[in-house]
Amino acid sequence: MMINVLSHPAVPLVLGSLLIFLIRSKSNLLSFISLTLSIIVLLFIMPHENAFYIEKGIQINYFAYSKLSFLFCLVFLIIGIIGKIFSIYRDSYKEKAMILLYIASAIFVIFSGDFITLYIFWEIMAITSTFIIWSSNSDDSSAAGQRYLIMHLFGGLILLLGIIGLYLNTNDLQIRMLSLDNWYTWSILIGLLLNAGAPPFSQWLPDAYPEGSYSSTVFLSAYTTKTSVFVLISTFAGNHILIAIGIYMIIYGIIYALLENDIRRILSYSIVNQVGFMIVGIGIGTELSINGTAAHAFAHILYKGLLLMSAGSVLYMINKRKCTDVGGLYKVMPITAICGIIGALAISAFPLTSGFISKSMIVDASYREGLEFVWLMLLVGSAGVFLHAGIKFPWFVFFHNDKKIKTEDPPFFMKTAMIIMSFLCIIIGIIPESLYTLLPYKIDFIPYTGNHIISQLHLLLFSGLAFFVSLKYLERTLTITLDFDWFYRNKIKYIYAITNFMSRISSNLMKMIVLNNIKNRFNVLESYLMKQFTISTMLTLILITFSIVLLFNIS
Amino acid sequence: MSNRKKIIYGLIILVNISPYLYSFYDFEKVHFNIDNMIGFYPIYGFISCLGLIIIAKMFAVFFKKEDTYYDD
Repeated sequence: MMINVLSHPAVPLVLGSLLIFLIRSKSNLLSFISLTLSIIVLLFIMPHENAFYIEKGIQINYFAYSKLSFLFCLVFLIIGIIGKIFSIYRDSYKEKAMILLYIASAIFVIFSGDFITLYIFWEIMAITSTFIIWSSNSDDSSAAGQRYLIMHLFGGLILLLGIIGLYLNTNDLQIRMLSLDNWYTWSILIGLLLNAGAPPFSQWLPDAYPEGSYSSTVFLSAYTTKTSVFVLISTFAGNHILIAIGIYMIIYGIIYALLENDIRRILSYSIVNQVGFMIVGIGIGTELSINGTAAHAFAHILYKGLLLMSAGSVLYMINKRKCTDVGGLYKVMPITAICGIIGALAISAFPLTSGFISKSMIVDASYREGLEFVWLMLLVGSAGVFLHAGIKFPWFVFFHNDKKIKTEDPPFFMKTAMIIMSFLCIIIGIIPESLYTLLPYKIDFIPYTGNHIISQLHLLLFSGLAFFVSLKYLERTLTITLDFDWFYRNKIKYIYAITNFMSRISSNLMKMIVLNNIKNRFNVLESYLMKQFTISTMLTLILITFSIVLLFNIS
Repeated sequence: MSNRKKIIYGLIILVNISPYLYSFYDFEKVHFNIDNMIGFYPIYGFISCLGLIIIAKMFAVFFKKEDTYYDD
């Protein structure tokens, strides 16, 4: 069946972004109107059924409703509208239009029911997010955006290869549970995981996101990885290989974040870490763990947005992005500091925050399945999150050595956005039912039991103790840590040297073997001709040849 | 008193309070044999964090470079 095109929640955003682009509007009114319209469409107008048409024998399922897609769309629009409040002082019309288009393409992806629609908007998402990175107009962002785009187009090609294989082999492109017994399902999995920041390509995320402007990183952090999580839930839930990948991401994020100096890069590494928890949840694949993954994605988008907003406020006010340049800001930026600490507590799953009620579902799902090793690794992860994001971020930014920086809290709307986000993080933590009713499966889980609270508090407090015991070894230095990207970054000079070398050798060889040979022969021929014939004989020869050709043609 | 000292004293107090928290802990509802042990979560949290920091420091020996490494 078909549905009215205006009842798709992404359509107001597309129209809004086109309008902003056409009239080059610097005001935020159009963004707010289109986001509000989109929320109205989602809540009241959108039909709760599937819509498709059939083109050349392929069913194009451009609108597939499920409780899960509703949940993701809702959180995408919430972070969209609060992020817009935060970025109200930014006046680049290109960034505004691209952000709306980026949100719209992410919503199209989560409502797509077949791989063709998914692939098209997947690529649009990659391109629009690259433009958002580029819109901060710095040399670093331009280079990082290029690397980001190349990585995502590469991932998109792998995904496309898998989709083509899927079509040729099964003749069916509906999004459904796939089993990993063919090259094309592996190819789809790799394409999807690349967007989630899985190894070995996790580096694109902390490389590109911190190069966005102070406000655009809030948007970048929310959509790409979470759409990937969404699609993985509906295609590969229950594949145990995802558990291993997720655990790797959890540990990777912690270790690199511990060594990192750039504030927003620390937070980007912790995105990899948090998405790792979600990937583990998908890998376990029970109803509880899928519920946990969805809830964790919802909570994560909110508290990560909050953390990046407080880091963005620091960047906006004092234009410093490294831990070594800041410190002691709690005196001059108290509201930013409090909101940042709430975000940090939420990401470390402190009781009474949103992280606690979502992450404990994934951890519980692992022991209900009897996966003891996974459970132990998730506990290491939970403790490590507190170590690298829960304490390290607020400690080095807002406390530590007081650098006596003269500044104040950011302007009104930026503060408002942070305060709204903090409230959301705490309300979800205090009233978990508000989130649990939105989850895809029926839920029988009580987060606030004595055991949960005590074990979590113990883990976190002693993780904090470990941080302060080894504080001397965690002092920030002006360094970066090499990653897999070493294999492709700044390798152009080597490629240039190699090609130069190769071309020199080959040209020398050519000269030696072929060219000289031909040249000599030609010389010989030339001199022979010159010696033997005068010009008049040559002309006669040519005339004779012509006449012969003509004669043959006439007959 | 500096910030760092305040926090360290606070943590020492918390560490001393933490055993009493076990009065809210139900040993009937433990998950595996390992968390039946008193002090499993504090010890495990502490050791795993120290372990992570040590691994990170080992990484740093090989992979830490000046932050101008890629700009030339």
